Amino acid sequence: MFSERERERYKRQTMLFGDEGQERLKKAHIFIAGAGGLGSPIAIYLAVAGVGTITVVDQDVVDVSNLNRQILHAERDVGKKKTVSAIGKLQQYNGDITINAIDTTISEDNVRDLVGRADGIVDAMDNYPVRYLLNRTALDLGIPFFHGAIRGFCGQATTILPGSTPCLECVFPKAPPKEVFPVVGVTAGVIGTVQATEVIKYLTKSGRLLAGRLFIWDGLTSTAEEIAIARHPACPACGTGSAGKRPAGKTK
Amino acid sequence: MTVKVRFFARFRELLGTDILAEEAGLTIADLVKGIAKTKKEGYDAIFDEHGMFREFVIVMKNGKRVETPDAAKVVVADGDEIAIFPPVAGG
Repeated sequence: MFSERERERYKRQTMLFGDEGQERLKKAHIFIAGAGGLGSPIAIYLAVAGVGTITVVDQDVVDVSNLNRQILHAERDVGKKKTVSAIGKLQQYNGDITINAIDTTISEDNVRDLVGRADGIVDAMDNYPVRYLLNRTALDLGIPFFHGAIRGFCGQATTILPGSTPCLECVFPKAPPKEVFPVVGVTAGVIGTVQATEVIKYLTKSGRLLAGRLFIWDGLTSTAEEIAIARHPACPACGTGSAGKRPAGKTK
Repeated sequence: MTVKVRFFARFRELLGTDILAEEAGLTIADLVKGIAKTKKEGYDAIFDEHGMFREFVIVMKNGKRVETPDAAKVVVADGDEIAIFPPVAGG
């Protein structure tokens, strides 16, 4: 059921997916790993769309060098924990939803507890080791993993549905070397909003997901392309190379 | 005989993209090396000191991933499209 304020707030989008779609958003719990460049637009757009419960995890403190792209944080937040800054902004955006902001480092030991009973994991990390961990957790739980990554003016995104699409390790089996990556905020905006779009589509059962497709954005030429991606039979995470048996995956 | 080589992300910044190659009988590795060697920074981003694809580089032939060691054996054919890209990591 929606309050009068919620009806008014969401009326331009219930034109798209109805009260039923809005109800699905309200009932959903989405886990966002990271409150940085990608995490900022993802969290803001999912909050204003009315995703009922949003959990954001980040371990960092806001630094001046974050401000060119991490739009959840402003000048007055420099020196604050990103979780504190994030929860304040997101509550201002939408007081009708529940926001959990957890100040911790995602690790093998805590990832299952952190994700809990979330309906999907959104990748807003800046490194592959944690991405692989989130990918495997999503496979284990049979929930979607919304991948995104950026560098410079370029970015990529794909939606991983356990049991039906390739997983992150099928496509990117080896992590690239660590670097302080150059980036402009708009690239995080493009890719983060693509990921948030995927989440909204998945939850409201709208359109066609980036399932089995790698979306590649080149901001320097303003071109978007896609590459068809295939499951790797011997994938160490989801294929015959995986040690344990994975569940077939629950579909929403 | 024409093969199209497409670079993405940082590789594209360094080497351009949609490069048409006409030479027949080359392996994927030799074809890409021939193009990349025109710019040292681009070559070094893709190949290691032994001339092998760096392990994280993604090589695709007509949309299917080719394991990087196999890229030194697979010979390209007319009409093939080769895509070369790095995993983008930032967030």
